[in-house]
Amino acid sequence: MEFADILASSIHDIKNSLSMILNTMDHLLDDPNTRIGDRKQADVLLFETNRANNSLLQLLMLYKMQRQQVSPNIMEHNVDDFLEEVVATNRGLLDSLNIQFDYDCDPSLSGYFDDNLVLGVLNSAILNARRYTKDRISVSAAMQDNLLVLRVEDNGAGFPDFMIADVPQDLDGSASFSSGSTQLGLLFAAQVAHLHVNGNCHGHIALRNRHQLDGGCFEMYLP
Amino acid sequence: MLLKNPFASKSYLVVDDFGDMRSMIKGLLRSLGADDIDAARDGKEAVALMEKRHYQVVLCDYNLGKGKDGQQVLEEARKRRLINVATVFVMITAENSRDMVMGAVEYEPDSYLSKPFTKDLLRTRLEKLFQRKADLQPVNAALEKNDYAQAISLIEQRLGEQPKNAGELLKLQAETYLRAGNHERALKMYESQLASRDLPWARFGLGKVQYAMRQFALAKQTFEHLLETNKTFMAAYDWLAKSQSALGCFDDAQTTLSAASALSPKAIQRQHALGELALQNEDFATAEQAFGNAVKLGTHSVFNHPSLYAGLAHSKSSQGRHDEAMQVVSEIDRKFDDETARFYAATAEAVVKQQSGDAAGAGEAMQRAEEIHSRNADTLPASLSLDLAKTASTLGLKEKANDILRAAVQNNHDDEDFMVVAAGAYRAAGLSDDPEKLIRGLRQDVVKMNNKGVSLIKERHFDEAIDLFREAAEGMPGNKVINRNMALACVMKMEDMGVDEESMTLARKFLDRTGKLTTNDTKLAEVARRFTLLLSADAETAHGIR
Repeated sequence: MEFADILASSIHDIKNSLSMILNTMDHLLDDPNTRIGDRKQADVLLFETNRANNSLLQLLMLYKMQRQQVSPNIMEHNVDDFLEEVVATNRGLLDSLNIQFDYDCDPSLSGYFDDNLVLGVLNSAILNARRYTKDRISVSAAMQDNLLVLRVEDNGAGFPDFMIADVPQDLDGSASFSSGSTQLGLLFAAQVAHLHVNGNCHGHIALRNRHQLDGGCFEMYLP
Repeated sequence: MLLKNPFASKSYLVVDDFGDMRSMIKGLLRSLGADDIDAARDGKEAVALMEKRHYQVVLCDYNLGKGKDGQQVLEEARKRRLINVATVFVMITAENSRDMVMGAVEYEPDSYLSKPFTKDLLRTRLEKLFQRKADLQPVNAALEKNDYAQAISLIEQRLGEQPKNAGELLKLQAETYLRAGNHERALKMYESQLASRDLPWARFGLGKVQYAMRQFALAKQTFEHLLETNKTFMAAYDWLAKSQSALGCFDDAQTTLSAASALSPKAIQRQHALGELALQNEDFATAEQAFGNAVKLGTHSVFNHPSLYAGLAHSKSSQGRHDEAMQVVSEIDRKFDDETARFYAATAEAVVKQQSGDAAGAGEAMQRAEEIHSRNADTLPASLSLDLAKTASTLGLKEKANDILRAAVQNNHDDEDFMVVAAGAYRAAGLSDDPEKLIRGLRQDVVKMNNKGVSLIKERHFDEAIDLFREAAEGMPGNKVINRNMALACVMKMEDMGVDEESMTLARKFLDRTGKLTTNDTKLAEVARRFTLLLSADAETAHGIR
């Protein structure tokens, strides 16, 4: 057994524990009989556990992608319905942190993608935005030059220039550990985007600042 | 105005092996307004509960510890019709991927939900599923009745309303054309979809149409193309192997299924198919492994079958391990109790005894298998004939194998899929170099005879038609077209000339027999309806009611 395999199966196990913790916390916080001294601390707990779970999930998926055990299940989806699920996954968490959270999409917009994989990407972009936003996060979708663009924006200070200039586009790309960030989320996003193909066109990701909101903006372009 | 809570009026089943998880999910459902919630701790308990009552929503964890897994629960529930198309089945998985459960195209849940999920997500997902089921309800009802024309017209009507799920509807429409045997329309739909975008489901559908149109080389190319970019599209491996087998490339087919089994080892039907191919290719070690896996998986599966044990015994005995093989044969009696099991115990015993040098014992077992086969000719599936022929061929009884295959082809002359498999069996038994031509000849004879009978009916020569079909049905007791037309001849004779005792008895006998041979045959239903009409008219006459 290779070390990577041991790692993968352990991650699997840890994730199961985290799942249990998350669901139990959700349940506890939802119960009016639960008494918590400092609600803020509970929210931090919930948020960080979510983040850890998300990172492990991405690690697992990257592992499988590298071993070519994942092929995207691309179907036509109504994007509005899809974003509604993205919001449903994150709403509770962001509400409790007093972050204004909204989404914007033409109800008739449809796109071709693997909903599970892209949901994972947007979740992690939202968790990231939460770390840097002042008090607002917005998710949106639109068609642009025949590509479906999904955006996650915040009103924080924005991405530093070096990150915008050096967005990874696939697994072999430059993960710059010098910045102190593993860029796991971006690597994962880039890989998922790349797996989406139409004809000769692969999907890609980009970062920018001050799109609709003042802060950073994560973009995923899908063919 | 208060809207009715869509969660309140439904019955739920939650399946999870962890008590904490069960009560957590129940709590979530209750907070959404549900109150009729049952829970099961494992697959066995879940199936037992579903046997007792019908659930509208099933939330089932994939991983249920020892025993059945979630996929096996789903398969059993669908196969045994414990749930129907209106039931919402959600598979809960431990991670954000479907690969553990992949490959179950025939038995896919309505949705996958990965842990952990929030209450909001559960609500949104279930609301959408309820809506989708309600939208598709009329179409699904038509499909359950095999009323394809109605299903297609309903889908077209929905498509005209600019629905959000247009893609899903198009896919369903193309599948319905394929099921209805309208290959040209299905082909057109898949091709036009592929012209605008290379979607995996459309390419998969294209391959299936090509296969149905007997363009096996094209079908093979299509499935290969699909797998190049979608390595985990498991059903494509199965169809690629089918196409390769139809082309006579049995080694390639085995390689294909071996690759698929390595990726997704839990699919029992694929292991079975791999075992059969490996036996045919005389790769007994692979056969033993595949049948061994299948037997192991069978313990908790609704697809468990005595033929898996027979295959395992055959593989072991072909490697000289006759005692082990006989052990496996005796397992069949302990695990199953029906005619199919007795049949496979007999064929397996015949093979093992033959290979261990006990020719007399082999002959006896073969004779037993033949007896069971002939006394159940009208109820056992056609695949048994193939297995009987293979056994005869292993025993060196070429002529007998040939007779059995000929009868099987004649009995199932209108079943295209079966013809492909039968050709493979001819080839494997070394009975023919050009089995396709041979089969074509056999089928033409049946078609000619049937056509003659049908024109006799049309010319109202009912007695001649009845004589012809009766004799044909003697020789082909398992042929549903011949048996159905025999019943039709009797019914039409009585419609024309009045009811008589003998025609009545004959009609009933052949209606019953055809009924056992098929399910959901709309033509048979029509003959049965006319028969019932005759009966009631006769009863009224008898009672003097006008």
